[in-house]
Amino acid sequence: MPNLLYFTRYALVGALALSLGACATTKKKQYAGTDDGDYITGSPLPDRVDGVSFLGENVDRHRFEPVYFAFDSYDVSGSEAAKLGPIVQFLNSARGSSQLIIAGFTDERGTEEYNRGLGERRAQSVRAALLEQGADASRIQTTSFGKEMPADPGSNEAAWARNRRAEFGVTR
Amino acid sequence: MLRTLLLAAALSLPTAAVLAPRAGAAETPTITISKSDSIALGLAPISGPDGAALTQAVRRHLSLLGYFSVVEAGKAPMTASGASSGGSLQGKVADYSGSTVLQRSYSGGTREQAIAFANDIVETLTGKPGIAGSRIAFVGTRTGKKELYTADYDGTNVKQMTHDGNISVAPALAPGGRKLAYTGYLKGYADIYVIDLGSGSRQRIVKFPGTNSGAAFSPNGSQIACSISRDGNPELYVVGANGGGARRLTKTRGVESSPSWSPDGSEIVYSSDQGGGPQLYRISASGGSGRLLSTGFGYCTEPSWSPDGKKIAFNVRQGGSFRVAVLDLGSGATRILSGAGDDARDPAWGPDSRHLIYAKGNGLYLIDSQTNRSSRLIDNLGGISEPTWAR
Repeated sequence: MPNLLYFTRYALVGALALSLGACATTKKKQYAGTDDGDYITGSPLPDRVDGVSFLGENVDRHRFEPVYFAFDSYDVSGSEAAKLGPIVQFLNSARGSSQLIIAGFTDERGTEEYNRGLGERRAQSVRAALLEQGADASRIQTTSFGKEMPADPGSNEAAWARNRRAEFGVTR
Repeated sequence: MLRTLLLAAALSLPTAAVLAPRAGAAETPTITISKSDSIALGLAPISGPDGAALTQAVRRHLSLLGYFSVVEAGKAPMTASGASSGGSLQGKVADYSGSTVLQRSYSGGTREQAIAFANDIVETLTGKPGIAGSRIAFVGTRTGKKELYTADYDGTNVKQMTHDGNISVAPALAPGGRKLAYTGYLKGYADIYVIDLGSGSRQRIVKFPGTNSGAAFSPNGSQIACSISRDGNPELYVVGANGGGARRLTKTRGVESSPSWSPDGSEIVYSSDQGGGPQLYRISASGGSGRLLSTGFGYCTEPSWSPDGKKIAFNVRQGGSFRVAVLDLGSGATRILSGAGDDARDPAWGPDSRHLIYAKGNGLYLIDSQTNRSSRLIDNLGGISEPTWAR
């Protein structure tokens, strides 16, 4: 049952993003390849903006609070989702071309490449939640650092909980 | 025919093999010996100016390759010997009666001579491929950053390949070891780069929005399987060796990662958490749906398909640490190779489908899947992770 709800939500978000994208640009063939356009798992990311990345000097990484996750999970819980409102507000009110980069991280447990995937999935979950609240998809990028750059270098439950996170970078 | 007869003679003395002291133990620290099915082989000191180095290198290869227990000359049905002179090695293997089984001349440096002689001994006496000299790659943190290194399969001949002071991870060697693909963060995002190891040229070949990672070369080197998240979710993709023609294979709400190709290139095994915890799936390289591989374990990641196609090595998570497991595709049985609490990570098969390398803390290890014997190959390059082995 939760899966069905999830599917429905994503299909709607995906359809919305696709129709928005279609309005914004007349030519809607963003990527090469043999995709059939059926983005059942989400909406595609917009092209990266040159010179904008999470670690760039033109990016403020402390403006918004990180979102935290349970072990091996990428679900944004209710209390964590409450942190997203100000971000949506910022994105939709910011003048010019302010970009948001969501960076996903994991704790040190888990193998390297799986953690990279899990970190990206966390960033994408946060992105989907932002889109659901009406954020402008064309301003959001995602990245994953897996278990690199822990917020807390410790090897205990408290440190792991602080490291399972998505951080936000916004261009200044 | 000759080979078969000689091998039969050698195998008829299994007790000698088990009881014989293991020469070369000082060079290759041994952790576990749970069983031994090796053949006793004598090694006489190689004569000549480079003799000592050659003897040591040949003994190291023969010990690591697992088919032989190396003993003193004359204490086994067959004995290898050699003479080094004028920059070349005359290698020879003779049986008890003095009949020559192998006689060949080797040129090049002492490294190349020892590799070629050891491989000839393995191939002549066992009919199996010798893997001495094959190349591996891995991540090391000696410099304080994650950089990529290549080495021979025995941990010698180490070369640092990246010097970016950034994050360089998830290496994959092309068939024959001519190219190195990896995940690099030079642009602030995870992208897939390929280094031509001959020319040293580097290209960023997969750079879609989101995260691009986990490259694995197809057996003929013409394609790369990887994870790409441009669709709003990390999915399994196949791209050309130059990064073009991206083709998506999976569509799930979960995380697809760590692809590894079947030897004929028709299928890919990967890890996905679409059903909860990460599990192994196999999928046709041309598309379709992923099929769950039942392993009996709840958390399975980082699969490696053996070059003979019969086995898949992977990591299982048990009690907070990782162990190396091998799934036999014929019987469906899963066997754990590494010890409990070892935290052995990222197993990768060697070209002989018998040996694996894995990472554990600051060590890179070689394990013989037939004997469960582990040898530490490298312990001086900082934290080691994500080893891979060229086929």
